[in-house]
Amino acid sequence: MKELLRLWSLFRPYRGWMIAGTLIALLTLIANVALMALAGWFITAMAVAGVAGVAINYFAPAALIRLSAVMRTAGRYAERLINHEATFRLIAELRVWFYRHLEPLAPARLQQYHSGDLLSRIRADIDALDNLYVRVLVPVAVAAISAVLFFVFLLLHDPLLALSGLAFLLIAGVVLPVWSQGRGQAPGRRLAEDEAELRAAVIDGVQSMAELTVYGANARQAERVDALGRRLIADQARLSSDHGITQAGVGLSASLSLWVLLWLAIPMVHDGTLMPPQLAMLALFTLASFEAVAPLPQAFQLLGRTLAAARRIFAIVDTDPPVVEPTTPSPRPERFDIRFNGVGFSYPGAATPAVADIDLEVPEGTRAAVVGATGSGKSTLFNLLLRFWEPDAGEISIGGHSITNFRGDDLRTHIAVVSQQTYLFDTTIRENLQIAAPAATQEAIEAACRVAQIHDFISELPDGYGTWVGETGVRLSGGQARRIAVARALLKDAPILLLDEPTEGLDAETERSLMQALDRLMVGRTVLLITHRPAGLDWVDRVLVLDNGREVARGDSNVIPEATQGALLRDAAGAVA
Amino acid sequence: MSVNAWLKSHRPLAGAALKRTIGLGVGQGLLAIAQAWFLALILNAVIFEGAGLTEIGHLMAVLLGLFLMRGLIVWLGERSAFQAAALVRTGLRDQVFRHLQRLGPRYLANERSGALVEMLTKGIDDLEGYYARFLPAMTLTMILPVVILVVVFPADWVAGAVMLVTAPLIPLFMILIGSSAQSKNQRQWKELARMSSHFLDVIQGLTTLKLFGASRSEADEVARISNAYRSSTMQVLRVAFLSSAVLEFFAAIGIAIIAVFVGFRLYGLVMPLPEWLMALPEITYLQGLFILMLAPEFYAPLRNMGTQYHARMAAAAAAEQMILVLDAEPEPRSAPDANAPDRAASGHASLRAARPFGLRFQDVHFSYEAGRDALRGMDFEVPAGAWVALVGTSGAGKTTVINLLLGFLSPTSGRILIGDQALADLDLEEWRSHLAWVPQQPRLFQGTIGDNIRLGRPDADLESVRAAARRARAADFIEALPAGYDNLVGERGAGLSGGQIQRIALARAFLRNAPLVILDEATANLDPESERLVQEGIEELAKGRTLLVVAHRLATVRRADRILVLESGRVAESGTHETLSASNGIYARMIAAYGHAAPAQVDPWNPEREDDR
Repeated sequence: MKELLRLWSLFRPYRGWMIAGTLIALLTLIANVALMALAGWFITAMAVAGVAGVAINYFAPAALIRLSAVMRTAGRYAERLINHEATFRLIAELRVWFYRHLEPLAPARLQQYHSGDLLSRIRADIDALDNLYVRVLVPVAVAAISAVLFFVFLLLHDPLLALSGLAFLLIAGVVLPVWSQGRGQAPGRRLAEDEAELRAAVIDGVQSMAELTVYGANARQAERVDALGRRLIADQARLSSDHGITQAGVGLSASLSLWVLLWLAIPMVHDGTLMPPQLAMLALFTLASFEAVAPLPQAFQLLGRTLAAARRIFAIVDTDPPVVEPTTPSPRPERFDIRFNGVGFSYPGAATPAVADIDLEVPEGTRAAVVGATGSGKSTLFNLLLRFWEPDAGEISIGGHSITNFRGDDLRTHIAVVSQQTYLFDTTIRENLQIAAPAATQEAIEAACRVAQIHDFISELPDGYGTWVGETGVRLSGGQARRIAVARALLKDAPILLLDEPTEGLDAETERSLMQALDRLMVGRTVLLITHRPAGLDWVDRVLVLDNGREVARGDSNVIPEATQGALLRDAAGAVA
Repeated sequence: MSVNAWLKSHRPLAGAALKRTIGLGVGQGLLAIAQAWFLALILNAVIFEGAGLTEIGHLMAVLLGLFLMRGLIVWLGERSAFQAAALVRTGLRDQVFRHLQRLGPRYLANERSGALVEMLTKGIDDLEGYYARFLPAMTLTMILPVVILVVVFPADWVAGAVMLVTAPLIPLFMILIGSSAQSKNQRQWKELARMSSHFLDVIQGLTTLKLFGASRSEADEVARISNAYRSSTMQVLRVAFLSSAVLEFFAAIGIAIIAVFVGFRLYGLVMPLPEWLMALPEITYLQGLFILMLAPEFYAPLRNMGTQYHARMAAAAAAEQMILVLDAEPEPRSAPDANAPDRAASGHASLRAARPFGLRFQDVHFSYEAGRDALRGMDFEVPAGAWVALVGTSGAGKTTVINLLLGFLSPTSGRILIGDQALADLDLEEWRSHLAWVPQQPRLFQGTIGDNIRLGRPDADLESVRAAARRARAADFIEALPAGYDNLVGERGAGLSGGQIQRIALARAFLRNAPLVILDEATANLDPESERLVQEGIEELAKGRTLLVVAHRLATVRRADRILVLESGRVAESGTHETLSASNGIYARMIAAYGHAAPAQVDPWNPEREDDR
């Protein structure tokens, strides 16, 4: 119920559309019922008059029949257009709304979600909301209003007929929907979850196919996809069977309503309280009136899927970002020194802190390295500095301003990162570079790529900078991707440079030229390097050695061997034991 | 094959359920005729014969029976329609996914996963409209109106003639309006695929977007793409709504004409027809009412087919993408001019060589696209049980050599021999069962760490998993996790560092227990101490196995039995570390380059290693 109210509030801007849609739908329905009822009355009246040889005005009813037929056709067309247009506009807006809530959560809060699951939310779950708007809200309003009108119309003839008509309408329009809503809840929830899992399984199966193939796991992945597909279809089958029951139920309600009506009305015709043409009219009216409630059982059945979708969407929307953005404008630092002051941080649920009591000062224009084994907390320092996470203790400042005073995006304009894992988007090399500087000219791009030692490779490709890199850069080797990341960082031209193993996975020659390139890049910038490879750090001004998230030594690069040997060897001894 | 023919060709999959659906649809139509007849009888008796409930009680009883039967048939029909499509959908999803697997990573490099995901989820769902709705509707259109005409003509040929003339208008207009719908449906499908691939790309790269401050402006792109999808959807729907309005209009016109013809004659009016043309037959109220109630039933299957025509279009748009995938052929396994004597054995032989086996590249050429050779005459031998390292600058062909060995690529010319058999003759799946491989950027799957290590040996017990993890120096951090080997890891090992993912991938290779181990930068992302320990693990593993290693850090290959230095797709030098560094060639220069940039040989952790150089 809570979800329904929230969904309804999202629809508010489209209330005008919906009211218009409801009115037109109501007119359409009435026209349709009138058409059937009038036709029944008309031919019976004509026949009775023909037999009796009395005159009858057949022009007015014939005109009404024509009017109803046109209104019904035009009304249905208009009503469908209005309601769908409004709904799909809303849905397109909801995707943006969802994305705006998703974006601040990355990367910290999204780690637990598979990309297929998130894709399912922004695509399928948001699409599933259309059921509420197109099939539930408008039809319920139309059904409620028209049921009252039908009741009043029957009441004009006979209270008993009215009561019986209303009873059957309630069975089809309330009892069946309530029943099918209850039955649809569990399958609907499973459908939302299984669809997400199926997407995740397909993405795993496609994006990791090389490994699955070599390890002989392709067949198992195919079985998993097949099993998930079967599970989906089994739930859909349940819903479909229930849908068949309610469809039959609505038809049967209409038929029984007619049957009871005949049973009640025939004696009235017999004793003259009801005219014969009225009997034919009421009979056809009864059958037609069920069109008002016919769509409701399925709409309510699908409500289970819709509400499950809504819950999955709200779960993301309601997640608090790990970092609170300041309400005041971000400061504009005049210098770009970095300072960690007693910084400590634990990941949620972790038994031990990732980093503790970190003090580090990197004056503007100098270079510092944080050295430590895998898992010693180096990357955490970057995550904190980039405001992906908020420290539990201590403070980080840039140019004397605490970074909590910066909006995340403003803070990150001052920082360029070359990280361990480079993500390349599924577009051209040029556009991948332009992410850093949308206005960069071809000259600027080429210059950056020359420095990053990748220009020669790119210009040898048949399409040059227009070459499609393919998803997650599948068409480039790890080393090439890394160099594109360096070029990207160059293009960003930020005063602070964060380097995360920039030369990992490069051959010696490339590494050397890249280091020379980075050397030029680093001039005048504040540089923080994290590395697990302590060799060749003579170019940094200061070094902080981390072990298990704590400082074990600091100084210039000479402190490294002695300081880290003990820690790492102790670690390694543990590993072997 | 045309989309239509393709869709039809899968009809047998729907099998008996489809026939049952059609049968039930015919049954329902017949019941509707009976129902109209009895209703007309009752009203006629009451209105013109003064009958009361007692006289028509038996008719009322029949009517009640008809109602109940019709309800039952509606339910059964819905079930079997769903089942007919379900059988096709289940079969096709599996078929398409497995075909993608046969096409392999090289095909997928040019595909967008988001689009493939839509094809295997929504695309498959869209097929339902064709098999569950359109096919039965089409068959019923050819049966039910004919049955009704057969009933109506003897009663009143005038009404029959009206039906006969107006009926073809419905499919005619449906086709006229529908002809523009096909391209609109295809566009809608393309927009959907584009939207999904874009969202997946954005979700997977959201952190990178954030680093470059581009994640907020991406909202505009999300809005643009969502709106493009919305407008393409509305275009499809506008056609669908318009055509159903037109169909409804024609049905209403038909019914109205019949009502007028019936009503006027009942009243005894002269029809607005020239008398010399024909004299219209007399009609009774019973006949008139019966025909009037049959008229909607006559147009219903036609209208229904018009509606379901759009389900067919949606299915066709989805099917088109599936056909593209299914029609794609895996790359041929061997070069056309390969001089293997026994072509019959091609691709199905199992490996004869005893483990460990050696392998040999004989003048292997390969190009990803014409004119750009990645390998030009690759010639080398890896003796059984040897440890061979491939070094060289990026672009020299190292990864291509590995992809050829893994069977993801096939040589343009030349041969790869495993023992004395050509790789092209071997059954790939069987061949791969002899391999373990750690790629440059290993991926983890959703599941537990244990499952991830068991990838190549799903039945391995915990003890072997632990042993493999210990050897890969992964046991320590895994066992420190709250749930140990049962700890769930996300996609791409979310929450783990690059080095940890690397070691899990190594454990995977160790557990595989394969005679040929291929490591592509297996120790990247490791700190020197872990690297040394993992290296020890690898050397332990190398005993009794053939080991092929790609390395950038030369320090890790010094103890290899043989080092192959690749340059421009050829083996430029080969030998041991000692002979190569003394030879003043490329390798010696590479060593010098390394020494200049980062004195990796001077291992600060381990001075003894420096000594054993």
